Amino acid sequence: MSSIDAHLPVLQVVVPLLVAPLVTILRPSGLAWAATTATSFMALMIAVGLTAGALEGDIQRYEVGAWAAPYGIELAVDSFGALLLLILTGASTFALLAGKASLDQQIESGRQPLFFSAWLLVLAGLAGILVSADAFNIFVFMEISSLASYVLIAGGPDRRALPAVFKYLMMGTIGATFYLIGIGLIYMMTGTLNLADIQVRLVDVAGLRPVVVAIGFITVGLGLKAAVFPLHVWLPNAYNFAPHAATVLLAACAAKVSLYVLLTFDFVVLQPVLPEHDPHFGAFLMPLAVLGILAASAVALFEPNLKRLLAFSSVAQIGYILLGASMVSLPGVTASLMHMFNHALAKGALFLAVMCLATRLPSLELDDLAGAAKRMPWTMAAFVVGGLSLIGIPGTAGFTSKWYLISASLEVGGAGGWLLIGVIVTGSLMAVVYIWRVVEAAWFRVPLAEPTEVREAPALMLSVTWLAAAANVYFGLSPWLQTTLASNGARMLLGEAP
Amino acid sequence: MITLAHWLTLSGTLFILAVAGIFLNRRNLILLLMCIELMLLAVNFNFIALSHFQGDTAGQVFVFFILTVAAAEAAIGLAILVVLFRSRRSIQVDDLDEMRG
Repeated sequence: MSSIDAHLPVLQVVVPLLVAPLVTILRPSGLAWAATTATSFMALMIAVGLTAGALEGDIQRYEVGAWAAPYGIELAVDSFGALLLLILTGASTFALLAGKASLDQQIESGRQPLFFSAWLLVLAGLAGILVSADAFNIFVFMEISSLASYVLIAGGPDRRALPAVFKYLMMGTIGATFYLIGIGLIYMMTGTLNLADIQVRLVDVAGLRPVVVAIGFITVGLGLKAAVFPLHVWLPNAYNFAPHAATVLLAACAAKVSLYVLLTFDFVVLQPVLPEHDPHFGAFLMPLAVLGILAASAVALFEPNLKRLLAFSSVAQIGYILLGASMVSLPGVTASLMHMFNHALAKGALFLAVMCLATRLPSLELDDLAGAAKRMPWTMAAFVVGGLSLIGIPGTAGFTSKWYLISASLEVGGAGGWLLIGVIVTGSLMAVVYIWRVVEAAWFRVPLAEPTEVREAPALMLSVTWLAAAANVYFGLSPWLQTTLASNGARMLLGEAP
Repeated sequence: MITLAHWLTLSGTLFILAVAGIFLNRRNLILLLMCIELMLLAVNFNFIALSHFQGDTAGQVFVFFILTVAAAEAAIGLAILVVLFRSRRSIQVDDLDEMRG
């Protein structure tokens, strides 16, 4: 067993990457679904194995082909990476398990094998970003995952997905190119692309202008990919028009993986090297985070479509994650990492419930949701649990990270700290309002026409949705997993011994 | 004598042209795609010039990866355009704005 343990970091990427082309030749689409789900489940098990290693506190390194680090390609999984690997593989497995009926409805069976192949490529690409310890490899994996996710989004029946995906392609490519320019400049200054090696060699050239320009390009490029507030314009339509199952996967982890790269770069590589990095990092990102929370929540208040409402809420939640990180303190970064996990749980459950609704209802406009709770009580109950977690009600996962975030703001102190608390509370109150709008439509509005065929979602889909909702409660009542991983990850990011 | 600075200026110019193209071009989606390709080419110039003047071939290996990625990106972008054109009979930016959700 231990011999396999050593290879887990590379297996995390290789397994889905190898199965992806095989899935395309599985003609009966049920078989393709089964193979994809099994692979995704295997990836989840690998991620659990890596998490177990990370909980013991060590960084799991792997040299591909046994070539030593500065020359060969190195993989490294720390607590932060393990946390996101869990989110990624978990979201993928849940979405696939629950999504069979929805995918059958949305994608004709002949095209399903190709769709599942793209799904596995997204999984492999995102996992590759999380295990890589090499700046250029991160770029390659980023492109693998982005290109495949364009296919996922455009794979649905909705024609409006095409302009949305074209916009995503443009912004995504520009983001990746900016990142690449930064990497090019850093390569010029240091002659290496291994993250640990960059950190060592950057010391000699720290104050020079190319390094500063490189940091700017990398931060903006990754900000574009991560949908940081003013750069988020691709996100709402891309999530809205994607097939429902794909939305679950993308909403739970796509933007967060880019944030992972951003935080790793800014903290691990640059922070020990550049003396004035921390204040600049905070001063640049904190206003964006605050604006993102307020503006995106405000848009969600007035959004008539359920999926777009949740997509704008995602932009706001990315603001919370960034807000914690931009405090550059141990409680702040811990809160940020925890919120990644908790938000993935909450949004995963919400979008799973949306998928249940979408299999039965003609549209996801809030007006068409009228009376849905009477027809689909279990689905709407799961939606409410996810919504409570999104708001941050005590007893749900969302509460724990909001709590950490508020105590981190208190530590900032002064008027600034209270202002941040005000922003967090306002954002949560706005979340109460936009979740309530859905609840109000589903429970208290009388449907215009009596839909006869609307009934509860398929059993498998509903039980997986409830599993996700229950996870929100479980990790709210006993948050040991995300707390341990997040605080270990935060210590690693801030360069303290775990 | 052509120095590193010349190459970097060239690549900087290409990059600025590409960015200007993206912002100025409000009509045609294919031009948009070409601007993005131009941007990636500017990055490639950077990598090749730097790797040449540093005497390290790794930079040139990266360029092959970037070229592959750029090709894949163009392929997907054009594929989307073809499907769009089939359903809309137009690839003008203005016409597509009507399809916003």
